[in-house]
Amino acid sequence: MAAIQEYKCPCCGGAIAFDSTVQKMKCPYCETEFEMETLADYDRELKSGQIDDMSWETSGGNEWREGETDGLRSYICKSCGGEIVGDESMSATSCPYCGNHVVIMNQFSGALKPDCVIPFKLDKNAAKLALKNHYMGKRLLPKVFKDENHIDEVKGVYVPFWLFDAEADADIRYRASKVRTWSDSNYNYTETSYYAVCRGGSIIFENVPVDGSEKMPDEWMESLEPFDFSKAVDFQTAYLAGYLADKYDVDADQSVMRANERIRKSTEDTIAETVRGYTTVTRETGSIRLHNGKVKYALFPVWLLSTTWKGEKYLFAMNGQSGKMVGDLPVDKGAYRKWLFGLAGAVGAAVYVILFLASLL
Amino acid sequence: MKNMNRIAAAILTALLGIVFAMPAVTAEAAEDMMRISDWAELLSDDEEAELSDQLDEISERQQFDIVIVTLDSLEGADVTAYADDFYDYNGYGFGEEKDGILFLISMEERDWCISTSGYGITAFTDVGQEYLSEKFLPYLSDGDYGEAFRIFASQCDDYITQARAGTPYDVDNMPTEPFSPFGALIIAAGTGFIAAFIATGIMKLGLRSVFSEPKAESYIKKDSLNLTKNYDLFLYRNVTRTERQKETGSSGGSGGSTTHTSSSGNTHGGSRGKF
Repeated sequence: MAAIQEYKCPCCGGAIAFDSTVQKMKCPYCETEFEMETLADYDRELKSGQIDDMSWETSGGNEWREGETDGLRSYICKSCGGEIVGDESMSATSCPYCGNHVVIMNQFSGALKPDCVIPFKLDKNAAKLALKNHYMGKRLLPKVFKDENHIDEVKGVYVPFWLFDAEADADIRYRASKVRTWSDSNYNYTETSYYAVCRGGSIIFENVPVDGSEKMPDEWMESLEPFDFSKAVDFQTAYLAGYLADKYDVDADQSVMRANERIRKSTEDTIAETVRGYTTVTRETGSIRLHNGKVKYALFPVWLLSTTWKGEKYLFAMNGQSGKMVGDLPVDKGAYRKWLFGLAGAVGAAVYVILFLASLL
Repeated sequence: MKNMNRIAAAILTALLGIVFAMPAVTAEAAEDMMRISDWAELLSDDEEAELSDQLDEISERQQFDIVIVTLDSLEGADVTAYADDFYDYNGYGFGEEKDGILFLISMEERDWCISTSGYGITAFTDVGQEYLSEKFLPYLSDGDYGEAFRIFASQCDDYITQARAGTPYDVDNMPTEPFSPFGALIIAAGTGFIAAFIATGIMKLGLRSVFSEPKAESYIKKDSLNLTKNYDLFLYRNVTRTERQKETGSSGGSGGSTTHTSSSGNTHGGSRGKF
């Protein structure tokens, strides 16, 4: 059946995966490397073979009650026959029994096929190192958090993104003023000149990304930006081998709102920057019209790391391309008080001494 | 009528001063003068005696007359002119230049006035007098006249000492406040906590790295901004003018003392105000 796909090494038959350091497919058993281009043809071949079977193996056992399996899908591993259970948006994962990487082809068929993918550039070790660096220099981070911290899970995830192209037409009027001062022997003069400043024009935005996955918090994904889109390549399912992937579950129509919000803000800022040489500038009226152009569906690489501390989960995310690490850290209340009172005492003492010395002068 | 008598007495004294004191060496004459004339009866006898001793001690030591006058009413006279004339016609002042300072208050008008003469003009600059008035005004307003005069006298002592040292209190050389341990403690604790709050706030912020991104500026296609409308229309202008602070004074430049000439032709410095 064509529902799930594993990539096996043509040399030794082992499961192969995308290696981010060599940017190629690499067999971990016999170390053979394969160019992505050769797999592109292989990819096409795989797609052509899946026309007849759109179904997946549902193991609706008797013990499942009605509705319980609604969000679940299950697949059979081709290597060991084990059952892989995932939610309906899961697109790439590994078999829990034999560890082989599998890609669920249905999730990338037809309209679901991503236009492009930015392959992982940084590996798991880089992500762990980045998390360690993320802890450094943070004085209010509880010491035990650093010391006792065990990374529960490190996942390389291809997150679905919608990329929007848009042209923004702006027509904005500002009220601006210039102030000039001079003086003669008797008076100081202040002259305020008022202007109506009109600006109109267009700006083109390309590939404004919006997170298309419900599971991924939008804030986190926006914190990870920017992704360098020039490094994106045409999508091939082979890139997903070895990573997790989800298909989008927020569609483009819903996502476009967020993109437009950001485009609007940046258009206003960019136009406002062209108003120069004034003392004050206030926006009076104006309109911004957006012409949405092409929409692309892309997969961006994200490392997700999660830790548990004092019963609470902490999630960190790293841009798999640039290495930018984000994730909120807990505040050590004791350390905070120590710093607050310590600094207040030190600064206060210094000020007191300065005041005392100043009075002696 | 009581006041009229007093003024008559003052003028008589003044005239006598002119007739008899003028030919004599003025330094000698000053010694016999009462340096406090409490005509408004604001001080008790003890207070007056104590203050008189203080004024005499400072005046003799500094060779500089410090005179205090209280009146019930100016009877319509100009307070500055009255103070100047009182000083001149009573023959106050040490040496050729008639060095001294006179402090006068009138109860009916609630006017206060300082008149300086000779070295007093040098020692008590305009800003110096302003600072001095800030010291005694709260006590005058509260009706604690004894304390106001004591402060005036001791401040004068300080001002003259400072001027004799070569640098009178002026714009760029104001008296420093005495160190107050409690006030300094409050200021130090306040600034300490504000600084600590800001610093720990920044440290706390450093622990957060998840923010939503409201802009999309990194996705603007390079050089794609195409301005089709770009004009600035002048609407109107308005001009306001404020008078410049006139910089005058005997020492030139900023600071120094403003002077005027009294009815007797002597040069005086001084300042005035209400309490």
